[in-house]
Amino acid sequence: MPGFWSKGLTVGPRGPGFVAQPETVLTDEASLLAELSEDLRVEPLAGEDDLVAQGAPLLRLRNPAGTVLAAPMAGRVGHLDLGPGNRLRRITLFAEAAGGRHRHALPGEGDAAALRGLLQGAGLWGGFRSRPFGRMPGTEEAPAAIFVMALDSRPGAPDPREAIRGAEEAFARGLAALKLLAPGHVFLCRGEGPFLAGEDDPELRVLECRSLHPWGLAGFQIHHHFPAAIGRPVWDIAAEEVAAIGELLATGLLRPTRLVSVTGDGLRDPRLLRCQPWADLRGLAQGHLRPGQSVILSGSVLEGRESRWLRPGDRQATVARPALPAARSHWFLRALKGASRPLPLIPTAAVEHALGGALPAMAFLRALSAGDSEAAARLGALSFLAEDMALADYVTCAEPRLSALLGGLLARIEAEEAA
Amino acid sequence: MTARGMWHRETVAELLLASLLPVALVWLGLAGGAGLLRLAVFLVVAGIWHVIWMLARAQPPSLAGTVTALALAVLAPGDLGLLALILSTSFGVVVAELAFGGWGRNVLNPATVALAFMGFGFPAAPWPELPVQIGWAALPALAIGLGTGIMAPGLVLGALLALGAGWAAGLPVAAVFPAAAGVLALLVADPVASASTRLGRWLNGLLYGGLVSLFLALWTGAAAVQLAVYAALFVSLAAPLCDEIAITLWLLQRKRRHG
Repeated sequence: MPGFWSKGLTVGPRGPGFVAQPETVLTDEASLLAELSEDLRVEPLAGEDDLVAQGAPLLRLRNPAGTVLAAPMAGRVGHLDLGPGNRLRRITLFAEAAGGRHRHALPGEGDAAALRGLLQGAGLWGGFRSRPFGRMPGTEEAPAAIFVMALDSRPGAPDPREAIRGAEEAFARGLAALKLLAPGHVFLCRGEGPFLAGEDDPELRVLECRSLHPWGLAGFQIHHHFPAAIGRPVWDIAAEEVAAIGELLATGLLRPTRLVSVTGDGLRDPRLLRCQPWADLRGLAQGHLRPGQSVILSGSVLEGRESRWLRPGDRQATVARPALPAARSHWFLRALKGASRPLPLIPTAAVEHALGGALPAMAFLRALSAGDSEAAARLGALSFLAEDMALADYVTCAEPRLSALLGGLLARIEAEEAA
Repeated sequence: MTARGMWHRETVAELLLASLLPVALVWLGLAGGAGLLRLAVFLVVAGIWHVIWMLARAQPPSLAGTVTALALAVLAPGDLGLLALILSTSFGVVVAELAFGGWGRNVLNPATVALAFMGFGFPAAPWPELPVQIGWAALPALAIGLGTGIMAPGLVLGALLALGAGWAAGLPVAAVFPAAAGVLALLVADPVASASTRLGRWLNGLLYGGLVSLFLALWTGAAAVQLAVYAALFVSLAAPLCDEIAITLWLLQRKRRHG
């Protein structure tokens, strides 16, 4: 699809300096933190001080009902902190190898309902993200299409090809399983290069893309090839999660690690490693930090959020230098700066590239700034999530942030739809 | 996250000014001290309004005011009289730019509006004859604008294409080349007041070249700068329409593709 005229940016160094073989690092602690506003209502399946096996159901979610979160590693539940209404605040596990691995009972092959049940019961359902709105899909939701992202163009992101190396067979098995969920509409997005296992399937639609940011984000691929709409949900899933589904189907065991890159200014050398979900990012960066202050973000430098733990869905962490406190400017200049929000956006090639040339950029950004949800939806907002605007935020220094504007706009559309 | 890029409003204004430097230097070289004085007057008038709006409305002033002043200095009628000059400059800067919230939120280019005001309000004042060097200096200006991405390739190429077509049709395009190219660089290629979609920019550029050719064919007795400025005014007014056409076509195409 993208040719000479394709738009997008090569952002930051991509992968150089990663050692060829990622080492496996399991941190001693793993935690999932949630804010009350996330409304993560759970029913704990293990109490504090219980020993849990890797892959065993740990928390049952109320929404979507019946799905579970699995234990990322064998260990003992250290903290389980629930807020009002059983909203999860925090759960922490301490590694203890004695926990062993949990083996899930496998249903018969070729049955979509049984596959759904297995994925929901094994904690792999959260690997799917449903657009519009980017939530975990409902248990009965039927996707119009599934996008498998074997491509990630975020600065410093690990190469998904590397992630599924050694698990090619499982990846092919996982791809075949996805066809049960969305027959005929499974898309595989991958970068240029050799074929991936399982892609010779005629029912699979392979999209080969140049690795220009933001085209390695699921939002732009979905927007371009199969726009999501209300009543037409499109799911996306990372290639490694597909391999995990394949492994689960083959062995009944949950894949214990994911490939994660740790990059950034605050690090002596970028690291590529396999660690458990919810891993302790301080543990991953330890011994590789440059002297001085640093902040750890879960996610890339563009859209990452400050967090000590690897957030679900993230496959990279960034150790950044904290922003220096700006020199105190004159009160008048400060007031002037504050008074001119939102800052005007000037249409330049930079803005066009930041949105990949995928849509009329200025019309879309103006609709976002004005809060015009109808126009934004017409131009494709329902295929995007807040993270897809991170590059535009970076490039244009927009204030307020475009990603926040898009997030608010989507939340409003969702509330209107629910009403 | 706090990482910030560089493409905020003032970066674009600085690059716009930098890309217009060839025109500014050539024009100052030709006009000498009188030109410098003229530029200073426009700078002062535009600057005073920016400061007034900053104090009264908390609107940060923009370097783009300098671009407006430069365009006015090069293109405004010669012996207009100080009062008329101040009046029309104020009209352009205040009504076309500051009243909309400052540069970046305006719909029309303030210099275009001020020039049109001069043309309508003081028709007796003679429009300047642009020397041919300005036309040639406009080409590197456009090249810098295109290279830095602040001017749109579709717009510039479309305009040159339409002018070329007019020339091929036997119109005296060569005679108005300095004015047409100068106005293209100084007024039409302004990223804020021109169309913002890819197809819209092509339409915008083609429309500019087409209008200049049309005026050349039908408008007898008009000065070169005069027809280029009026073409720029109409193009600026038509920019939202060009965008609307482009977006409608894009939506239709998507509808056909995805249902």
